[in-house]
Amino acid sequence: MKKTTLALAVLAAVVSLPMRAAETPAKKPGIATVLLPSPGSPLVAVRLVFRTGSSDDPAGKEGLAALTARVMAEGATRSRTYPQIIDALYPIAGDINVQVGKEMTTFFGTIHRDNLAKYAGLLEESVLHPKFAAEDFKRHRQDAIDEISKTLRGNDDEELGKESLNVMLYAGTPYGHPADGTVDGLQAITIDDVRNFCASHFTRDRLIVGLAGGYPAGFAPGFAARFDGLPASGAPRVALPAAAPLPKTSVLLVEKDARANAVSIGAPISVTRSDDDFYPLYVANSFLGEHRTFSGVLMSQLRGVRGLNYGDYSYVEGFVQDGGSTFPVPNVGRREQYFSIWIRPVVPDNTWFAVRAALYHLDKLEREGISEHDLAQTKKFLETYTKLWTQNASRRLGYAIDAKFYGRDFQKELQRRLPAMTKAEVDAAIRKYLPKGRFDIAVVTDNAAKFRTQLLGSEPTSIHYDTQGTPEAVLTEDRTIEKFPVDVKAEDVRIVPAGEMFQK
Amino acid sequence: MKTVVLAAAVLWGAAASGAPAPAPHRSVPPARASREKAFPFRVERKTLENGLRLSVVHYDSPGLVAYYTLVRTGSRNEVEPGHTGFAHFFEHMMFRGTDRFPADRYNQIIKEIGADSNATTSDDLTVYHILAGKESLPTIVDIEADRFQHLKYSNPAFQKESRAILGEYNKGASNPIQSLDERMRDAAFQSHTYKHTTIGFLKDVEDMPNQYDYSLQFFDRYYRPDNLQVIVAGDVDSGRFFALAEKAYGGWKKGPARPEVPAEPPQTREVRGTVSWKSATLPAVFIGYHTPAFSTASKEGPALDVLSELLFSDRAPLHKRLVLDEQKVDDLEGGAENRRDPFLFEVYARVKQEKDVAAVEKDVEDEIAKIAANPPDAATLAATVSHIRYDFARSLSTADRVASAAARAVALTGDAEAFNAYYAIFPTLTPKDISAVARKYFAASNRTVILLQPPAEKAAEKGESK
Repeated sequence: MKKTTLALAVLAAVVSLPMRAAETPAKKPGIATVLLPSPGSPLVAVRLVFRTGSSDDPAGKEGLAALTARVMAEGATRSRTYPQIIDALYPIAGDINVQVGKEMTTFFGTIHRDNLAKYAGLLEESVLHPKFAAEDFKRHRQDAIDEISKTLRGNDDEELGKESLNVMLYAGTPYGHPADGTVDGLQAITIDDVRNFCASHFTRDRLIVGLAGGYPAGFAPGFAARFDGLPASGAPRVALPAAAPLPKTSVLLVEKDARANAVSIGAPISVTRSDDDFYPLYVANSFLGEHRTFSGVLMSQLRGVRGLNYGDYSYVEGFVQDGGSTFPVPNVGRREQYFSIWIRPVVPDNTWFAVRAALYHLDKLEREGISEHDLAQTKKFLETYTKLWTQNASRRLGYAIDAKFYGRDFQKELQRRLPAMTKAEVDAAIRKYLPKGRFDIAVVTDNAAKFRTQLLGSEPTSIHYDTQGTPEAVLTEDRTIEKFPVDVKAEDVRIVPAGEMFQK
Repeated sequence: MKTVVLAAAVLWGAAASGAPAPAPHRSVPPARASREKAFPFRVERKTLENGLRLSVVHYDSPGLVAYYTLVRTGSRNEVEPGHTGFAHFFEHMMFRGTDRFPADRYNQIIKEIGADSNATTSDDLTVYHILAGKESLPTIVDIEADRFQHLKYSNPAFQKESRAILGEYNKGASNPIQSLDERMRDAAFQSHTYKHTTIGFLKDVEDMPNQYDYSLQFFDRYYRPDNLQVIVAGDVDSGRFFALAEKAYGGWKKGPARPEVPAEPPQTREVRGTVSWKSATLPAVFIGYHTPAFSTASKEGPALDVLSELLFSDRAPLHKRLVLDEQKVDDLEGGAENRRDPFLFEVYARVKQEKDVAAVEKDVEDEIAKIAANPPDAATLAATVSHIRYDFARSLSTADRVASAAARAVALTGDAEAFNAYYAIFPTLTPKDISAVARKYFAASNRTVILLQPPAEKAAEKGESK
């Protein structure tokens, strides 16, 4: 499908500075509102965020939240067919985008203020008065099944690796399936399921209405009030098991045709943006593996020094990149988080070395902590880099809404804490929260049996350079890395053909 | 206009993924766009004696500047056999440092100023961009001028980076779009260098570690002031920037003559091909029609953009039929990307069932034939033109996007404001112009068709195709 669950381009919004942030309660209790007015701006960013996501999918109907949201956003309403909605959006250059995460579903778009009234009406129709037409349901359900069974299994090894890791980390919990769903789950969903899920989960008490940019004075209260027509409340919030350290290291080898092996490594962690300790942990992680920059140790060591692959990064929360930018999309809040390392595809001869190298550098950080110099550099980097997270109205609005989810504005909180953050705090967070010795490891490979033998064997897994001139110090370190202990038992290595992943 | 996603052969970044996040600003309201220039920002220019051109685009982004260094060289310029992919490879090497700012120090400075820094390469250009606070402008001029003039890297560093390029190829290899793009170009072009993708032929990528000497020649040939332009957009004092740039770049010497890019002869017969995918996938039809180079002096490019909307946008009749009513296709796109030399109008249809592939291909052809025979009505044309203009105006929403648009314009024409002339053509289009380009370019003999073929059902189900 064109709009995959989280791979949406966020439309750029325009704002004029300075902006004034305000939070105003809506008329009726139950709808929270986040307003970031910028009267000089010609554009308006709109976000309707429901605290509903794939974790609300009933067992056996995995994919229901995402399917419901798509039928709402890209389907008929009670008064218009979907083609009529497309025709209405075209002249105003409006889009109703939808994004579904574990615990949040966001309907969003950016529109010129001249067209705001028309856009608001269309958005209201989609969210408040979806028709749930049979043809829209059929189309979206089939698209979702194809997305899982064809695209995820066979068109993108890196996403396949990440979703496989997610299944490992959260099997048997509400987080344990892709937001798009599973093949069997989607096939079991009926149009009545969608209708009922909408009534029980897209409710007023779950909604945050967000507006940013140049909307007219007096517009916001009326806009928020449009959604008073939603059911006041519905299903209770789903319970989640608390994060616990992994009991052992497990490896999932997802087998399919592959030139190179995509790798994702992870373990649950018990802190989120809501917690004080998350902030020093975030700084430590930025040093270890800041997403898609050369400032991270993993990128510098695996790619820069050794030429192992295109990139290597680490995360202390679920990370979804915002389109072509390097920044995370907002509104994918979660109550439970995990640490992960993303090793981009490595040629098969070097895959296990690359895994060992990443774990070696994580271990080194855990043993040695961060140096004063590296901490100072990382703090300085983050002081400015964090400002780049919210450069347009839509992203700013997304962060402001996330602040309500977590009870803290992550960007402001991190910026506030950075100047005084000490090595002792960062080292303590590293010791307390980064996983030690036990991981879930997902590898997409075309030769799982050989790989299994390699990782269970006692032989070092050397790096095979086909380049010249590797410095002696690196070669010496390589001889340590190739033997870096990863404690895996034979019974904890599973081989699953890609065609069987995400079936149930 | 709706362009084909897979035709966007832009390779993002030695370091990261490319386009930095947009910066805050106040732009021209799109509603006024049709009465104003499409690129409505004040541009100040200066050309140094060595030929380096500087452009300042004034844009209201308080405190922020987007610094773009554009090299008018891309994979289009890779004329020598065995060296495809070098423009992109070189983009990576530019992060390997100089005597004054070795790679670690360069990265440290970028880190210290908290900048978002990256580079991209495509067919026609290589562009290096930094988004940062305006107070960092002197630092940026200093480090950028230094690396473009004094890049220095060892053979071992070159070889290690070559394997990051192979890694970049490998990361795309699991996506059939990379294979479709490779196959389309190889089949559709005989002489022109658009025959290869920006990352290059795999055999050339694999051989890159052995091409150190060629890399030095490449740098000497293309990284010269008369082949570059520096564009700064945002909150910038042009006088101060010009003075800084004069000092930092002024001593740089012009380069040697650069090889011509061979012209592509006209296509004379339909070419067909197949990509057989070994893993699970939906089938797809990918069609390319040769179309003219970007021009601000011809109605044909804008007319093709209108065609793209009329035929393949979400509101197009074909979309309604194939995607919504019959539900045979889940993704339908089509359009011509702007290129310096003649390229392709590409159509992509991802089909839900293999049995429908031939019918979908015919549906696309029939729809094109209809518009070739029957010009659109004037109101539809006017609405489409308005939408295109409005969309472009909306795209210029941050300092970074403004600089990026200017860089694309420079790559295509040499002029940062070229889109003004281009978008001024749209209101002059008539319904007959639209049909005329459809008749002229959408002939079977001008077409290349590549089909994406899934594996046999049993193999796909098991996911074990090898």
